[in-house]
Amino acid sequence: MNDSNPRNNTSGRPKHSQFDMILLVLAGAMIAYVASPIVNIFSLLNPTSFIESMVRAELAKAFLLSLITATISTLLVAIFGIPLAYSLARSNFKGKLLLRLIVIVPLVLPPLASGALLLGIFGPYSMLGKAFPLEFTQSGLGVIIAQTYVASPFMILPTQASFESVDESYEKVARVLGKNRLETFLHVTLPLAKRGILVGFIMAWVRSVGELGATMMMAYNPHTISIQIFEDNAVGGLSNALPAIVLVIVLSMIVLAIFYALSKEEGLKPIR
Amino acid sequence: MTWLELELIGLTKKFPGFTLGPLDLKVKDEVSVMVGLTGSGKTTVLNLISGIIRPDNGSVILDGSDITHQTIESRRVGYSFQTPFLFPHLNVYDNITFGLKKNDKQAKKIYVKKLLDDMEISHLRDRKIQGLSGGEMQKVSLVRMLAVEPKIILMDEPLAHLDPPTRRKLRIEFRRVLKTYGVPVIYVTHFEEDVYALADSVTILRDGKIENKGMLEAILSLRSSDFISEILADANYIEGKVIESEDGITVIEVGSQFIETLGDYTAGSRVGLLLRPEEILLSKDVAKTSARNVIRAQVIKLVRGISLTDVHLQTDYLHLRVKITEKARKDLGIEIGDLVYAMFKAIAPQIIREDS
Repeated sequence: MNDSNPRNNTSGRPKHSQFDMILLVLAGAMIAYVASPIVNIFSLLNPTSFIESMVRAELAKAFLLSLITATISTLLVAIFGIPLAYSLARSNFKGKLLLRLIVIVPLVLPPLASGALLLGIFGPYSMLGKAFPLEFTQSGLGVIIAQTYVASPFMILPTQASFESVDESYEKVARVLGKNRLETFLHVTLPLAKRGILVGFIMAWVRSVGELGATMMMAYNPHTISIQIFEDNAVGGLSNALPAIVLVIVLSMIVLAIFYALSKEEGLKPIR
Repeated sequence: MTWLELELIGLTKKFPGFTLGPLDLKVKDEVSVMVGLTGSGKTTVLNLISGIIRPDNGSVILDGSDITHQTIESRRVGYSFQTPFLFPHLNVYDNITFGLKKNDKQAKKIYVKKLLDDMEISHLRDRKIQGLSGGEMQKVSLVRMLAVEPKIILMDEPLAHLDPPTRRKLRIEFRRVLKTYGVPVIYVTHFEEDVYALADSVTILRDGKIENKGMLEAILSLRSSDFISEILADANYIEGKVIESEDGITVIEVGSQFIETLGDYTAGSRVGLLLRPEEILLSKDVAKTSARNVIRAQVIKLVRGISLTDVHLQTDYLHLRVKITEKARKDLGIEIGDLVYAMFKAIAPQIIREDS
């Protein structure tokens, strides 16, 4: 009896088609909006000037500088941020809420403001700047300082959420089986929180590559790829900035592909 | 075999709204089943022994040494939780050898293999955790616990989430393996059946204190006590010896009585039977029925409820509780002192324990 089947109405279509339409329209509008500036690149592209601009030595240098500094910054945020995320997820102490607030400050603060505040600490006339014979500003080091600051919440927040989602019972089991706290962290907690940590790595790295405001304040020179885009655009408009932009888009696609490959490999789901 | 003993001395732990102890308990080479209602503090006792929580006062003595202030990992305690918590990022074998030191992994290979064989899960060795059934997971969890050779085993209702047939089957296997292993076991539960199926001794916990402790038989004889009957009230538990087992029918000798039940068991082994009071029929004369078991017994006690009445029967070796409606009792005219026939089918009693 066909009409008794709730999935079939008179037109023979499944009932959820209305919902599908809503999804299609709204999600379609979203993706069109995000994609349109990228697609528009093709209409702006002038092949000769594009190639000319692409082979500039300064562009390659800026691209390389961004890759190196973003990688170092991400590793720094990982080394110090993952333990912080674990502490925030697992320990209970007074002032924990305050720490959680501090962690998100770089996310809320306009990057330019972060950069200005960092200059207060690392600038040539600051205490640190006077005390150390190091070039904190206008150097690769300055770029790393700025990126590390701005990218830190992108590592800490997903990692913390990931640690929180690991059932503490797994850790208890490991302890009872004879592992100390460090071994338990390394062999149980870390692998089980892998997905969120992976997300943290990608986000912190991507954010570091895209960082502009804080980096401008700390180190306008040497140019990162973001500053190069800013400058190319200021000097010769969008068409002049296109090569650097295309480079970043290609890079982001490669990163995304790696991320999916890695996370597909780990079909991790906790077992109950 | 080394003689291991766990002793709790004056152990206390205060929580908001609940105080455990002071608790004094000794457990030797036995399976000690700890029963109590929800919230009586059973899990807390296990957490105190394993070091997951620290006591306010008192001490935990294991194998002669005071471990009260030792770290969890140095205690060599085996602890299985209600859910098995197998590590999802490791396969079965890596889960099992997780607790072994690197140098031990090779040396213990034969021992681990024997454990896998004992629990009949050798075929799961290289499987992922994700595809295992609930029962298989608990078996792997048990082997993982035994692989590190703990000095005491703590189990917190590990079978609670399994379906009844699997639970029944695993209980028999668990008891067999635990008895071969020969260390003190504390098995926490609120299921009556677990007590009959597993216990050498029984500890009854009530509101954070030990209400009673004794060997299974001794505790069963106290079932008339209000509180114990609240926990261990339901079933008739009967122990006996398998006389013969053929074509899926097993005959068990209980005193001068013989009981027929289903299943294949080794002749000579001691078994424990569970017989539900509502599965027994009563009559004043021998009737010709399909029931394979007919027992003549004397009515020694009547406990009348609103609609149902508990009739307590006694033979030379057997005490049986039978549940019938009050109306049926009146119609039959059953009174204290009467001789009656108790009848039940071979399918009614279930073997829940087997000791060779």
